[in-house]
Amino acid sequence: MSEGDEELRGLMVRYQGGSLETFQEMYGQLAPGVRRYLLHLAGGSEIADDLLQETFLQMHRSRAAYNPAYAVRPWVFGLARNVFLMNRRAARRWANIHESRKELPEFPVLPEAERLGSQEEIRRGIAHLPAEQAEALLLHHEWGFSFEEIAGMLGISAAAARARASRGMADLRSALSSLQRARA
Amino acid sequence: MMDQLPKPPEALMRAIAQDLRPVKPSPRPLQLALRLVPLALVVSSVILLAIGPRHDSAILGPLLTWGASAVQFGLAIALIWIAAHEGTPAGRLPRPVVYSAAVAASLVVVLVTLLTFSTSPSAEPLLRVPSWINRDLRVSPWIMHGICGIGSTLAGGVLVLLFGWVFRNSLATRPTAVGALYGAGAGLAINAGWRIACPVSTPWHALGAHGAAIVATVMLGALIGRFLANCRLRIGAERS
Repeated sequence: MSEGDEELRGLMVRYQGGSLETFQEMYGQLAPGVRRYLLHLAGGSEIADDLLQETFLQMHRSRAAYNPAYAVRPWVFGLARNVFLMNRRAARRWANIHESRKELPEFPVLPEAERLGSQEEIRRGIAHLPAEQAEALLLHHEWGFSFEEIAGMLGISAAAARARASRGMADLRSALSSLQRARA
Repeated sequence: MMDQLPKPPEALMRAIAQDLRPVKPSPRPLQLALRLVPLALVVSSVILLAIGPRHDSAILGPLLTWGASAVQFGLAIALIWIAAHEGTPAGRLPRPVVYSAAVAASLVVVLVTLLTFSTSPSAEPLLRVPSWINRDLRVSPWIMHGICGIGSTLAGGVLVLLFGWVFRNSLATRPTAVGALYGAGAGLAINAGWRIACPVSTPWHALGAHGAAIVATVMLGALIGRFLANCRLRIGAERS
């Protein structure tokens, strides 16, 4: 567990003890990453901001469900994913979100792919990956989760998480290379 | 450092500030499952304490009488452990593990039923109760089906409600599946006790009455899991 995770774990334990200031501090550290993840899940929709608040509300309501044996970031990201999925189920209009999005979400640009194309091309490439590959790819490369942590969040084995991320990266590389060849 | 970090919106802060009582961290999935063992043991043993073990337990031997029930009880606890994992956002298990456990539980119930029937094909409802009751049960065997089916469903229902209370804060992605898992755990735990007391070995009775009770607890668990998740979402939506 990294130093940052250790710090967050300490904050979470203090927050469970009833400290409002600790909640603010945790929000400050976690919200930007969770928001980007929700933006990715929601296909760039503005609903990501509502889901972000919902995630922190759910975290508060279920703060007793956190066990200090778990790292906080995967726990909160997993919770954000649950909130997204539950809301999507509740509102059927989200069913075909990936097919219906018009604007590309604020995808982070992977450092590994930066030399292969422009930010816009990379975002477009990620948006065209199968959803499960894009999610594993971003969770690992952008937010730095280990494959074991991703496996715990997605309910798959660590090997499957690794395979999804590397297949996604390979497809992204191949798409960007073809684009570069076509341009040349 | 704090000044550079984003601040939570005021509405969120107000909602958080309304309830800041200290909470106790929940146990890990294995601890949670083990803590439920005494509860499951007590509820599943009620029938044994009431009418005692089946009359042919000597023929079945300790392995098929107590051993098979111990295996079922162990599987029940494993299902609850899996449900607890599924309810932890960062601790979910790979789907094949979940499906394998569900399939293993079903196979064990069928296998134990067939083994019990092949060792002692008892169809006589001989209970340690007043003789007129046994006489009536012999005349109308469907009463025995009803007693076992409804009785073990009720006992399983009590256990499912208790599990539902324990899992009320579960943060499962698939709350219906988690409910079904702890429902299956409750059903298996109850069946582990009832099969030692029930004197009828026929597969028709064991699977038709006791098996149906397990299915009923699975369905009840699924409904409770879905209901609790809907309540959680509704409360969140109201607050935001």
